[in-house]
Formats: sequence, C-alpha cells, structure tokens
Amino acid sequence: MANDASAKRRALDGVRIIDLTWLQVGPQATRILATFGAQVIRIEWRNPAAVDFLRYMQPFAPDHATPAGGRSQGAAHSHGLRGNFDRGAYYNNTNPGKYGVTLNLNHPKGRDLLKRMVRDANALCENFSPGQMDKWGLGYDDLRKVNPKLIYLQTTGFGKAGTYNNYVSYGPTAQAYSGLTFLSGLPEPHPPAGWGYSYLDHSPGYFGAMLLMTALHRQRQTGVGAYIDMSQSETGLMLSGTSLLEHQLGGKPTTRYGNRMPYLDWSPHGAYRCAGEDNWIAISVQSDAQWRALVEEMGSPAWAVDSRLASATGRKTNEDDLDRNLNLYTSANDRYDLMSRLQSRDIPSGVVQKAPDRFDRDAQLKARGYYVDLPHSEIGTWPVEGFPAKLTGSPADIGGLTGRAAPKLGEDNDFIYQKVFGLTSAEIIALREENVI
Amino acid sequence: MSAQGNLRSALEDLVLLEIGDQSGDYAAMLLAGLGVDAIKLEPRTGSPSRAIGPFASESKDPEESVFFWRYNLNKKSVALDLDHAAARSLLDRLAAKADIVLLSGEFENVQHQLEFWREAAEHNPRLILCTITPFGLDGPYRALKSTDLTQMAMGGIMAVCGYDPDEQGHYDTPPIAPAMWHSYHIAGEYAAISILAAINFRDLTGEGQLIDVSIHEAVNTCTEIAMPTYIYNGELVMRQTARHAMVGITQFRLSRSRDDVYMLASLSPFEREARAFTDLADQVGIDHILRTPEYAQLEKDDRRAAYTYRNDLIEQVVASRPAQEIFELAQKVGLAWSPIRRPEDNLSDPHFNARGSFTTIHHPELGRDLRYPATVASDGQEPHMSYTRRAPRLGKHTSEVLEWIGCGPDEITALKNSGAI
Repeated sequence: MANDASAKRRALDGVRIIDLTWLQVGPQATRILATFGAQVIRIEWRNPAAVDFLRYMQPFAPDHATPAGGRSQGAAHSHGLRGNFDRGAYYNNTNPGKYGVTLNLNHPKGRDLLKRMVRDANALCENFSPGQMDKWGLGYDDLRKVNPKLIYLQTTGFGKAGTYNNYVSYGPTAQAYSGLTFLSGLPEPHPPAGWGYSYLDHSPGYFGAMLLMTALHRQRQTGVGAYIDMSQSETGLMLSGTSLLEHQLGGKPTTRYGNRMPYLDWSPHGAYRCAGEDNWIAISVQSDAQWRALVEEMGSPAWAVDSRLASATGRKTNEDDLDRNLNLYTSANDRYDLMSRLQSRDIPSGVVQKAPDRFDRDAQLKARGYYVDLPHSEIGTWPVEGFPAKLTGSPADIGGLTGRAAPKLGEDNDFIYQKVFGLTSAEIIALREENVI
Repeated sequence: MSAQGNLRSALEDLVLLEIGDQSGDYAAMLLAGLGVDAIKLEPRTGSPSRAIGPFASESKDPEESVFFWRYNLNKKSVALDLDHAAARSLLDRLAAKADIVLLSGEFENVQHQLEFWREAAEHNPRLILCTITPFGLDGPYRALKSTDLTQMAMGGIMAVCGYDPDEQGHYDTPPIAPAMWHSYHIAGEYAAISILAAINFRDLTGEGQLIDVSIHEAVNTCTEIAMPTYIYNGELVMRQTARHAMVGITQFRLSRSRDDVYMLASLSPFEREARAFTDLADQVGIDHILRTPEYAQLEKDDRRAAYTYRNDLIEQVVASRPAQEIFELAQKVGLAWSPIRRPEDNLSDPHFNARGSFTTIHHPELGRDLRYPATVASDGQEPHMSYTRRAPRLGKHTSEVLEWIGCGPDEITALKNSGAI
C-alpha cells in the first residue's frame, strides 16, 4: 500500500488540518484524514501535565528498540523510559502519517501563532475538556473570525450543545451512559460485561472523519465551513441497534442475551470452548441445512439427532441443552481445525482470535497487507494497524504524507513553522527561547 | 454558538444505489442522513434485512421488521427482479445517473454483481463503486461464511470482552460479543468514510473508483491496546468484567447505587480526581480518613491496602444515593462517572432531547410515532444529520425512480406486466 502511494493523487491533496486532539477519540479522526493524504499537523505541548497521556501510557516500545532497528530487535515488556515521551506504542499506532509540532497555548504568542496557522488551514480538530478552547480565546466563534471557511470539529463525551455541556467523560463513561455497556454480556443475574476497551473512543473518531470529509467536500464546492459538536454518548445511541425501538414497542426493560441471536431463529449461536487454555470458537447456525451439516461433522451423536433439535424452533427451545452438549464436543477439538472443517461444510464459524492469532496466523490479514510497517524516528520500524478498505483510485495509505508512524514530540517544528508557515529561522529561535514552541 | 453550515443536506447532489443485505444497510443510511439520495434496489420479495427481527407484530411481515426500519431511514425503495431480461436496461440507465453504487453481501454474490457494475462504470467514469464483503474481494478467506457473531470473534473484539477469570486465572465464562450488529456498524462507518474520500478525490480529478471494504479488517481496527501490547511487548491482554482488558487482572470495580443500578465509578491516577472524590465523600456524608496522616501513611506503606480502602469507599458513596443523583454530584466535582444505563433511559434524558438526538417518525400502521436515534453531532443548534423519512415500504418509490431515469407510463406498465418490477 505505502509503496505505490506516492505516485498517485490523494483524495485529500491540499487539505491542511490543525490537529489539537489527544488521547484516542480525536486522534482517531485525524488518523483517517492523514491516511487519505491530508497534511495533519498534530500540535502538542511538552509540559508533562499537558502532554498526550498516550505518550506515557502502557504499552511502550521495548527499551532496546533503536531508530535503525524496531521490531526486528524483538518484542519485550517495558515500563517506558523516564522523561521520554517518544516511546508510547499505542501513541505510535494511533498517530501515523501526522506531522508533530510543539506549541504553548498558555502563551499569548502561542495563541497568535495558532491563529496564523488556522488562517491557512481547512479544519481544526480538538477534544479538550468542554470550554478549554474558549478559555484560550480559541473557540469556534474566535477562530471563524480568522478563517470564515474553517471547519471546526470538537469532540466531547456528552457534546457542547445540551444540558450536560460541562460534564466530563472518558470513552467508558459515554459508553455506560449511552446504554452500550449495559447491552453487552450474559443475561442477569450476571452483571454487564461491558467492553474490554473504549469503543466510544473509536467510533466517534470514525464519525469525526466522516463529517470532516463531508464538510471538506462542501468547503471545496461552496467555500462554507462548519462547526461540528460531536458527542461520544450520542454516537452510542446511534450504535444501540434496535433496542430503543423495541422498548417503545414492547414497553419492557432491555435485557441482555449473551452471544445468542434474539432476532432470528439462528441456533446454536455462541462461543464454544475448544482444546487448550481459554480457546474458543464462534458458531452461528442459520438454517436446518447448516444444523444437519454440523450434526454430520460431529459424527451424528445421539443428543444431536434428537428430533427436538431438527427444527429451528426446537433448537431455540432447547438452547441450554444444545449449548451444553455442543460445548462438550468442541472442547475436545482444536479451534482452527474445527473452524476449517465447519467452513468446508459452509457453516458460519470463526475462531475467537486473540492478538497473536490475528497478527501471526490470520492468512487473510497477511494476504491483504493489513499491517503496515512504518518507521518511527526514535523506536524504529513497527507494524501499524492498517485501513480496512482497498481503493483503486486514491490510496488509503496509513503512512500519509510523512511516510512515517507517529511523530516524536515536536519532531517537525522546523519543517512546519519554516517551510509551511514561512517563519524565519530567527523567529523560530526566538519563539523557542520564549518557551512558545 | 452561532450555527454555520449544517451538514444535513451537504451531500444532496449525490445519488446512491444500494443492493445487498444487512451488512450494507447502515452505511447507506449514514450517507442518507447527510443528504444523499439513497435508492435501495430490492428483489421483488424484499431485501434480506426485512427478515431480521425484532418485528412490530407476531406476523413477522417483512414490512414490519424493526431492524429494517432502524437501518433504512430516509431511503427510497425500488422493487425489481435483477435477473429479469428487462432489468438490465433499467440498471444501465440508473448507472448513468448515479454517483455511488454500494454492494454488500457474501463474496460470490457481490463478485457476480460487480461484473455488471464495473462495465457500467466504463460508461460513467465518475461512478464510485463500493463493496462491503465479509473478508474483502481477494485473499484466502474471501469465501468463508460469516455472521456478525463470527466477525466479532475473528476480528478480535470478543477476545477482549467478557468476565473476570477465577482466582487461578481460568475463564469459566465465554468471550462476549457486545450486542449488537457492531461488525456491520464498524464496516459501515468505514464504507461511508471511504465513499466520502472517493467523493473528495472525484472533486479533484473527476474520476470514480472501486472501494473494497472488508468487515474482518474493519473489526480488526477496533481493539485499542490489544494489538500494540502484543506487537511491542509480546503480551496478551485479558478480558475482565466491565473494565479494560489488560495484561494483568485489575481490581473489580462495579458498584451499585441505592436504586440498584450498576455504576461505572473509578478514579484515574490523576491527583485532581483523588481530591474530587474526597469532596464527594464529604458531600454524601460518608466518614473517611482520606485527608488524615493515617491514610497518607497507608499509601506509603501498603499501596494495595490504600487502594482497597478507597475502592470500598467508592462503593459506599455510590450506594448512598440513587444513580442519577450520584452521577450529577460526581460530575459537579469533575469525576467522569456514569450509571450503566439501559438504552431506553436516554429517551427522556434532558440533554439528548435538548440536542435533538432523536427524530420522531410516524408509523401509520401502528397508529403512533417512534423515536429513533438520529445524529452523532450538532452544529450548536441543530443536529448535523437528519432523518425525516421512515424506512420505505417495498417498492414504494419504483415508479418515481423509473420516471427519473426517463421511463414513460407505457414502459412502466410493460415492465409491470412482464414481471420485471
């Protein structure tokens, strides 16, 4: 993907994004913009209280990783190197293809310089706590005076419009509030299982990219900008499936149903234990024909040829027994071998893949070139998670314009301030001395 | 905040044709919420997603699929027999006027249809073709059978979601696929993004292109630290109850409010949160030693004991009041706590109602309105996305669309008589 990218025109050629985002949800949106060729300028400040938490959060690159090495030197646990903000592994995966500069927005000259950059940009993105940009005098109403065509994407847990506009949130807060956490898990009395990561730090980032590209298309055509007040918890509502409608129609409280399928007569439908420690396979039988094929694959054991299980209704009625027996069968089987045998009979099934399975073993991800090796100036070359689509015209190139994974803190100060915004070397030296950049 | 440039009609100059199953419904609906004229070409028996529940009545009538209602707002429906001899010329004429064609479904089926649309794109080089298939259009898994559940398994989300292991570290509960349809959500969002990238590219070059979205890869993008933890550290994260999957098992931290609602209440390592929590404990009148030298000493001598003490205190604080009250008190001191709400608790929430997060759609067959979640962002005054039209009845817009491509009344009658529409 990265190789032929430079030869092709990119979808967002000529687009400049001022990226004040941090953590996950904001940088996710700008990561996608960089993938399509926007010049994304990630602005950070080196004060430890202000620096992106992902720069000093686990996981870290191994301590032995060098610029010339990287993954070839091997993986190893690391607690990070004290005072070094350039070895965050998740930061590296979240910010490829972006330029990195430092800028002190607590300094009036820093704010002036930001305005100068905004004048020559298409969009600005931020996900500070609500109100922070206004405190600096850099809110949308301030910045649109500088650049009337500006697209301004602000992402917060609850959203700026509405009654909770001062409320604070991490992704999991928004998840819990929206109902997504409740929906995940086994039926009561089990508590909600929730999400083992922050889903609402991912999806609102995707929506951010979607709305930015919508606004960029229109900006190109009509010169009109946009203010986009993205709410993570509101996106959670959008992702809550049919639960809100069911409640309105039936009047009953929403319940959980584990891995089962409440909306179709598909059964068995769940995760079943396989040989080895914590190994599982998901099986999803959609029809009587698939069920018969499964029975045959299992060697037609007595419990399975029971006539009560011949119909979908019967399987649903006896789902507890069915699951128990199927679990006994699958437990004696190797998970990948079983998947391959079930797939050869056209039964939807898939191993519950853990990270090593996806990275080392998944032949599809390998064949499609999903993981992309990209260099980082401090920790060397590492695989970065790719973009899940191939485009024949404009490349989806995760390394973006920089051809690099994440920037070191302030790595591109000279290039961006001098070459892009035309500051002189003397100005840059002065700004550095005044603790502005 | 003054509104400028609401996006709800930003894409109104674009026409999208959609053919496929439940894996493509959402992508087209997202674009339809931004103004795209989305025309769903359905077989005369209806799209496969009309067979997915829940249903509004016991009859399971394809017109009463609530799944179809949810994921097809704002769209038009054309019912036609795609394999009918007369259909070909209609599709040619549609292709000439369309901007985007979205195909979704199993690989073989999409691959087969794609042959026609690729040819059509030769006559309309501005046409953007997008496919959503389980594993993409190439690669060794491309023809594997999958469902939402198996995609959540293979893409890595299930392995990080579920419940704590026992004290020996063995799991007696399965990995969980959070409900529901998230593999199609994630893939649909990436499809919409890719289509918009292609629209921007077309603005620059006048050229369309083919986009090949893989649901498997889309799910893979969405597991946070699980993959970097393995790639860089060679370590596996472990799933745990309602908490982040981490390399080690962290302390259980679901607490219950006085009205028996689970609460997500925890403290990050930031000092300001510790101070805020101390204030909150005071406010609800729970005795504590957080400000005493005794606690400071405990933190020095036995961090784990101090952590456990504070965790117990969180449980007491949460148990002291109803969930909504704790939520608001915690927010006032700056703690990002939240009740684990049922989705429907949001229908009456003042914040979402003030934002216009829901749209009201009238359903004459029910004699009532239903409220649908309908946006992800606001312009400060109004939602950026807009859904005003219910999911279409099968074939509701067939004549309208055929007239748009130039079919006269006689031709439409002949098509009806021949069984093509």
